[in-house]
Amino acid sequence: MKAGPLLLLFAATAQAAQPDPSLRNFVACPIVRDTASVPCWLAEYDGELYFLTLQTDVSAPVNPPWLGHRVLVEGRRSDKPRICGGIPLEPVRLSVIAEPDASCNQLLPAEDRYNLTFEPPRPPGPSAGRLAFNTLPMPTQPAAIKKEPQRYTLDYYFDGMVNFKTPFQLAPVLDMARAMPATRVEIVGYRSAALLSNGKVLQEQPDLARRRAEQVVELLKGAGLTAPQYQVRWVDASPVPNGTDDYRNRKVEITLQP
Amino acid sequence: MKLRQALIAIPLAASIAWFPSPSPSADYAGTQDRWWGPGETRAWPQRLDYANSQGLVGVLRDGPVLETRGHAFFTSLGPNGRACVTCHQPADGMSLSAATARERWSVTGGRDPLFAAIDGSNCPNLPQEKESSHSLLLGRGLIRVSLPWPPRGEDGKPLDPEFTLEVVRDPTGCNTGAVHGLKSAQPSVSVYRRPRPVANTKYTTHQNFGVLPFIGKNGLPATRDPDNGKPSAMNLMADARAATLKLQAQDAATNHLQMPAALTPAQLGEIVAFEGSLYVAQAASHTAGSLEEAGGPSGLGPDAMRKGEAGVLGNNTTRWVVPMENKWKSLPRTGDVAADARAAARESIQRGHDVYMFRTFWIRDSMHLNSVGLGNPTKRTCSTCHGMHMTGMDTANGWMDIGTTNLPWAKEEPLNPWNSSKPEMPLFKVTCKASVPPHPFLGRVIYTQDPGRALISGRCNDVGTIVMQQLRGLSARAPYFSNGSANTLREVVDFYDRRYAIGYSEQEKQDLVNFLGAL
Ligand code: HEC
Ligand code: HEC
Repeated sequence: MKAGPLLLLFAATAQAAQPDPSLRNFVACPIVRDTASVPCWLAEYDGELYFLTLQTDVSAPVNPPWLGHRVLVEGRRSDKPRICGGIPLEPVRLSVIAEPDASCNQLLPAEDRYNLTFEPPRPPGPSAGRLAFNTLPMPTQPAAIKKEPQRYTLDYYFDGMVNFKTPFQLAPVLDMARAMPATRVEIVGYRSAALLSNGKVLQEQPDLARRRAEQVVELLKGAGLTAPQYQVRWVDASPVPNGTDDYRNRKVEITLQP
Repeated sequence: MKLRQALIAIPLAASIAWFPSPSPSADYAGTQDRWWGPGETRAWPQRLDYANSQGLVGVLRDGPVLETRGHAFFTSLGPNGRACVTCHQPADGMSLSAATARERWSVTGGRDPLFAAIDGSNCPNLPQEKESSHSLLLGRGLIRVSLPWPPRGEDGKPLDPEFTLEVVRDPTGCNTGAVHGLKSAQPSVSVYRRPRPVANTKYTTHQNFGVLPFIGKNGLPATRDPDNGKPSAMNLMADARAATLKLQAQDAATNHLQMPAALTPAQLGEIVAFEGSLYVAQAASHTAGSLEEAGGPSGLGPDAMRKGEAGVLGNNTTRWVVPMENKWKSLPRTGDVAADARAAARESIQRGHDVYMFRTFWIRDSMHLNSVGLGNPTKRTCSTCHGMHMTGMDTANGWMDIGTTNLPWAKEEPLNPWNSSKPEMPLFKVTCKASVPPHPFLGRVIYTQDPGRALISGRCNDVGTIVMQQLRGLSARAPYFSNGSANTLREVVDFYDRRYAIGYSEQEKQDLVNFLGAL
């Protein structure tokens, strides 16, 4: 296994463009508001209340954060009508901050005026027989065995390692690597920084690019993919954040070589 | 504790008329028939029914009558005189109730191999003839489970755990002992756990929904079947340490039977085939009558377990966890006192089902439930965690922390000048290392009676997570939870009511208990 840091220099892009006034990037305590159906997740920023997401299920594209922890919100203010009293952020990305914060503990009771005006994707109890969203396809055997290099990207929450969503991204990689079969697996880990709306920059932990990359090797080997040669690199220098798509650099790229 | 109190007389005569045939072995008082000892010459029929405090548990064997003599599950394969059946008894839903342990103590004067020093006592170095040396088995139905510390990886090499482990309280003496303890030549942790039902295994070992090469809770690699490399559902044992029934059987033969040699392929095949042939569920209720009448709810009774689809989600209104088709929603009254009482009991079971499926509460700070995309807290129901069709397990990787072993929720003896009872369970202090994030809901320092899955994975987030058992045959195998901390189903429901501040009404509690008791 070859390992070594690959240092890349990223051009600073943030200063060029005017910051988009609809961006809402901030760290705050999440707030839960109960409704007559599923609860809403909200957060306050700069005197305004924003709607983050609804409780649905594991398949949701945006999963609710946690009381007891602050959350990094990376979103865009939309013009849609308020939900549960909050201005919807769309799209929005939520990353739970790992360090517990007991002060994040607001659970608001339901109020008629905040009840949902639409049917939620899934009720708070049993579903009607399916997951709420189709974003979690159960991995199957690859449709066609590929003979050219195949590239995959795993994405991460801010400061995060693998999580409950990773299996659905990683299982197809494993299947393809076996079907090919891959002789070499190239893995590159990255780390990001996030530009907040107040101008501050939040860095992911140093060394995270390496730990992400090495963990993916462990996972694939642990799942039995021991035949191929592994080539691991990481780019620990985070690019200058622009506040728009900083999440794109919280990733590990995997290339399977036949 | 008064041992003989356990021999409860059950008022069977009044209700015997509707019991399904073959007629039950009604004797609860420890006759030869109720207890299946190792090495007996007996025929295991296709259907066994045994009385319990709620009615009858039914054990269905999908296969021909089995002669137990010489069969690996029933044979004492090691020096201590035990067989698998010693701890997996049909009258106890293929587990072992604390009442049965007490009864064996009184029938045999403490000489049943069940009480073998190795794990049928609080610690092997205690005076074995004393009842107090077996208090955890007699009081709570607990078997000592000794695991190496630090844990071993798949290659047998020690892992580098994410936390340090200290013994805070050691009432059995085993965790600080020079031979079995954490600081002994072979450092080990002793935890105390309930046997688990050996039946309905097509559900506990399914290869269906949620079984992936990576664990759906945290993305780490799943254990695999060494025979075919396929990932396992990771739903066996309190800590999912056994990937398959074969590996489990070998582990049981070595540790419970103290068998020096490995099981032969023929013995393994016999054991696993027998396990796979058994279907267990409550079959009748003293108050609600037969649970398996033609035209009744399709999800009750052992034959429903045989017919059910394995490894699919039931937390929905198409398959259901336990299909009842609202059959007992509203039953006519005839004026016949007995029939009307039965109708009322059946309606209570149906209402309990509805509480289980639809009564929401805030599930909070529960690792591997709140952390897997539902948010913390999440407004959901019992069926959210207990969602697998027919068994009410989690479909795969079913370990979670609901606080049964972790403080502050775990049952602890109140310490005060007026209470002479001493704490019985060990207590460990877990400190998550600085190199890993703290446990999201419990922080860096966690006190626990049983670190659960973390004793295998070495992960801070797994501390106190326990693989849930199937919710079938419950009436036959009290007490409940892996550490036997709930004596009755009512205590289970009361635990949840406190843990999640549910605020059940008395009616909801009774209905839920009746529903669980009918599974
Ligand atoms: C001394 C009592 C005892 C004996 C004897 C015993 N077991 Fe068990 N069994 C247990 C306990 C305790 C557990 C749960 C252990 C845990 O959760 O860590 C268990 C769990 C199991 C399970 C897991 C069930 C599930 O769904 O999780 C199976 C299968 C099983 N035993 C089979 C066997 C077999 C096969 C034998 C004989 C080779 C055997 N047992 C002998 C006590 C016993
Ligand atoms: C957050 C997930 C979660 C929720 C919600 C939940 N359970 Fe559990 N349940 C578990 C886990 C995990 C265990 C295993 C704990 C142990 O053995 O220590 C368990 C164990 C049990 C047991 C004991 C089974 C046995 O064989 O000992 C019963 C009964 C039970 N639950 C019923 C319920 C009921 C009724 C509800 C609704 C009030 C409920 N559960 C809600 C996760 C959950």
